[in-house]
Amino acid sequence: MSESNEISRRIFLSRGAAAGGAVVLAGAAGSALAACSSSSTTGSSTTAATGSKPGVGTGTPVRGGSLTVGTTGDIDGFYPPANHWDSNGIIYANALYDPLCAIAADGSIQPYLCQSVTPNATFDSWTLTLRPGITFSDGSDLTSAVVVANFQALKASLLTGQALVQVTSATATDPMTVVFSLEAPNPRFPAGLTTQVGYVFGQAMIDAVKAGNSNPTPIGTGPFIFQSREPNNHFTVTRNPNYWRKGLPYLDQITYRPIPDTIQREATLKTGGVDMLQSSDPGTIKRFGGRSNYQVVDTRTGVLGEPTMAYIQLNTVVAPTNDLRVRQALAKGIDQAVIQRVFGGGYATPVNGVFLSDSQYYSPTSFPAFDPAGAKKLVAEYKAEHGTPSLQLLTITDPRLGQVVQIIQQMWSQVGFDVTIGQVEQATLATDFVSGKFQAATSAQFGAIDPDLNYVWWSTTTAKPVGSIALNFARNSDPVIEQNMLTGRHASDTATRVKAYQTVNQQLAKDLPYLWLGQYLFVEVATSRVQNFANPTLPSGAPQYPFDEGIFVPTQIWLSK
Amino acid sequence: MSKYLLRRSLQLVVVAFVISLLTFLLVHLLPGDVTTQILGPNDTKANRAILLKQLGLNFPLWRQYLTWLGAVFQGNLGNSYLNHESVTHILATGAPVDIELIIISQVIAFSVAIPLALVTSRKPNRALDNVSTTGTFGLLALPPFVIAPILVAVFAVGLGWFPATGYTPFTQSPATNIHQMILPSVAITFGSIAVYYRLLRSDLISTLQQDFITMARSKGLTSRRIMWRHAFRPSSFSLLAAAGINIGALIAGAFVVELLFAMPGIGLALVQAVEQRDYLVVQGLALVVAIAYVTIQFVIDFIFTIVDPRVVRE
Repeated sequence: MSESNEISRRIFLSRGAAAGGAVVLAGAAGSALAACSSSSTTGSSTTAATGSKPGVGTGTPVRGGSLTVGTTGDIDGFYPPANHWDSNGIIYANALYDPLCAIAADGSIQPYLCQSVTPNATFDSWTLTLRPGITFSDGSDLTSAVVVANFQALKASLLTGQALVQVTSATATDPMTVVFSLEAPNPRFPAGLTTQVGYVFGQAMIDAVKAGNSNPTPIGTGPFIFQSREPNNHFTVTRNPNYWRKGLPYLDQITYRPIPDTIQREATLKTGGVDMLQSSDPGTIKRFGGRSNYQVVDTRTGVLGEPTMAYIQLNTVVAPTNDLRVRQALAKGIDQAVIQRVFGGGYATPVNGVFLSDSQYYSPTSFPAFDPAGAKKLVAEYKAEHGTPSLQLLTITDPRLGQVVQIIQQMWSQVGFDVTIGQVEQATLATDFVSGKFQAATSAQFGAIDPDLNYVWWSTTTAKPVGSIALNFARNSDPVIEQNMLTGRHASDTATRVKAYQTVNQQLAKDLPYLWLGQYLFVEVATSRVQNFANPTLPSGAPQYPFDEGIFVPTQIWLSK
Repeated sequence: MSKYLLRRSLQLVVVAFVISLLTFLLVHLLPGDVTTQILGPNDTKANRAILLKQLGLNFPLWRQYLTWLGAVFQGNLGNSYLNHESVTHILATGAPVDIELIIISQVIAFSVAIPLALVTSRKPNRALDNVSTTGTFGLLALPPFVIAPILVAVFAVGLGWFPATGYTPFTQSPATNIHQMILPSVAITFGSIAVYYRLLRSDLISTLQQDFITMARSKGLTSRRIMWRHAFRPSSFSLLAAAGINIGALIAGAFVVELLFAMPGIGLALVQAVEQRDYLVVQGLALVVAIAYVTIQFVIDFIFTIVDPRVVRE
C-alpha cells in the first residue's frame, strides 16, 4: 500500500463551501483518502463542563439514549471504493465500519480488526491476522476472503487505486490471514490501513455494486447499523447488538445532521437540536469556551504528525512567482500575526513550516519573518529587471477567506506588488491547481499522521508543466525534498526519519512554494451530557488517538442521565 | 379560449426545449470538471481518460446532449456522478421542501400585503400609509441571509419558540414540520410582502379614482363592498404578475434559506451540484425547475383570462 499516495482528503474537494464546512482554506487542495490517516490532534483543549477534562467521561458509562450530531456537511456515500471520505466522511464511517488498524494515542499504529500486523525482514510483505468471531451487520463472517475482495475492489477503483499502487497483491493464506505484498519496502505500511482503504465493508456490498447498484446499503462490522439516510437532511444509525467489542457501544442511536452554516449549527446546539457539533471555525472556541454547560475540544495541541496548515500556495513555474526573490518578498511581506488574528480567531500560533513546535519532526527553518523593508528591496531588484511584479491572488467564495486575501493584498501592495484578487468556486480552483493555472492561491492541507502521506504533493514525480495534470500543485521540483521523502519512507529507524523530514521542512522554507499562515483548527463542542467523545480506546484497551482532524469515534460515547 | 390555451402550450414546449439546450451548454462552459471532483488526489491523466469514458463525457457535446435528451424523454433524468443518487429521487425529496416554503411564505405574504394595501389605499399619505410604505422599503432592503440569522437569534436561541434548523417531512410529523417551516418561510416572505403591498396599494389608489368607483359610492355601497367587489379585482393584475414571477423564482431560489436552515430542498441540491460540476444533476434539476417556472407563468396567464377576459380577445 502506497502510503505515499494515500492522501488525506480533507480539503481537496470537500463539500465545500456548500457543505460548508467548506473546509478548505482555499479549497482545492487537500486530499482525499487519508483524512483518515491524516493528521492531527489529540483532543486538546478547552472547557470541561464539570471541571473534568473535556470529552473524557466521568463516572460509570450509561447504556442507551440517542445522540444527535451536527456535522459540517454530508457524506457522498458509504462504499469505500467509490466515495470520498474526508475527515467528515470518516466520522460517518466510524459508526458503521471498523478499520484494520488504528492510531494509538502515542502515535503508533495498532491492530483493530486484525489481531496482528507483521512485516517480513525486508518490509515488503505484511501478514495480517484477523480477529476471530467478528461478523458483519448482515450476519456474514469477517474472513480473509472478504479482506482480499475489499482490496481488489479498492485497487480497481479510480478513486482509491492510487492509494494501493504499491501493493502488488493480497493473498488469503488461510481463513483468517492475509498477506500483502509490496513492490518496495515500506516500514509504515500499516499507517495506510488506518485510512479509507483500511475500512472493511461486507461482501454483499461488493456483490451489489457488481450487480449494478452503485449505492449499496452499508454493511460493516462497526458499532452501529445503518437505519436511514436522507441526503442533506439526516443519517441515522442504531446500536449493533452483535458488536464484537463486548459491552459496546453504549448509545442506542446516533443521528448525524449536516448543517453547513457554522453559526446556524451553533444555534442548533444552543437550542437543543443537536447534542454535539463539529466546526473548523476558531470562533467556535471563543463562543463556547469557558461556558460550564459545554465541553470544547480542539486541535491547538496534541497533534500527531502534521496538522492541517493554512497557507498561500505559489506556482513556482509561472512568472512572477517562478522567481525565488519574488517568493521571498511575498513571504517577507506577510504579517502572519495579523492573518492569524483574522483567520485563526486569535487562537493560531506562529508557524515556520508544516510541523508544530511540539512535533518530533519540528526544527528551526529559514522561513522568512515579516520584513517589509527586506521585501521592498527584493521587489526593487526584480522590478529593475522585469518591471513591477503583478499577480493574482485566488481564493474560494468564502467571506472569511475574502477578508484574509484583502489583508494580504494590502500587505503585498505596500511592499511594491501589483495584486488583484480573484474569488472562484472550489471546483474551479481545484482545476486551476491541478492544471497549474494560477499564480498564488489560498489553501489548507498537509494534515497527516505520517509525513510520508504528503509525498504525492511534494514529489518531483508529480510536478508537471502548466497545462498538464499535476498533484504537486506548486510544481516545486526539488530533488533534495524528493530524496529525503524517499529516505523517510524506506527508513525503519526514527532518527533517520526525523532527520529526513526536518530536511524536507527546511527545504520547503527555502523554496517557498507555500507561505505558511497558521494551523487550520478543528473544534468539537458538546453539551455537558455527552460523555467520552474524545477518549476512545483500542480493542487492546490502550488509548486511541482521540481527535484526529476533528474525527471522533462513537463507540464509547455515552449520555449522562 | 381553447386556441389561446393551445398556443400557450406550444410556447411552453418550445421554451422547455430551449432551456434544456441552454442549461446543457452553460453547465459545460463552466470552468473545471467533474473528474477533478471525483478523482481528487488520484487525478492523473490516465485515470481522467478512463473516467471520462466511463461517464460518457468523452463524446462530442452534441452527442452527449442528444443522449441525455433521449433519456429524459424516457423519464430518466440520470444519476449524480458523485453520490449516485438519481435526479428523480433528489427531486422527489427536495420538491416538497420548496413547495411548502413557497406555499407558507406566500400565504403569509398575501395575508399581510392585501389587507394592508386595502386599508392604506383608502386614505393615502396618512400616518398608517406612510409607516407602511416606509416599513416595506425597509423589508425590501433586508435579504433572507440577513433576516434568517436574526430570526434564529431572537425566536430560536433567545425565546426558544422555534428550532434553529432542521426539516421533518409533513407526512412524517405534520406538527413538527409546520413548527420547523415557520422561520424559514418568514425569512423569505418579507420581500414578497413589500412587493405585493406596494404594487397593490398603487393600483388600488389608481382604481379608486375611476368613474365606476364613484358610481358605486353614489349608489350607497359600503366601503368594504366597494373595496372587495369593485376595486380589488381590477387592481390585482400587477399583483398576479408579480406573484407569478416571484413564486417561480422561489422554486429553486430559496437555496440561501435552505442552506442556513439545513433543509434538503432543490435549491440547495442545485447549488451543490453546480459547485461540484455534477452535470446530470444540474441539467435535470434546472430543466424541471424551468418547466415548473414556465408552467406557473402559464397558470398565471390563465388566471388573467378569468380576471379579465379581454386578455383572450387581445
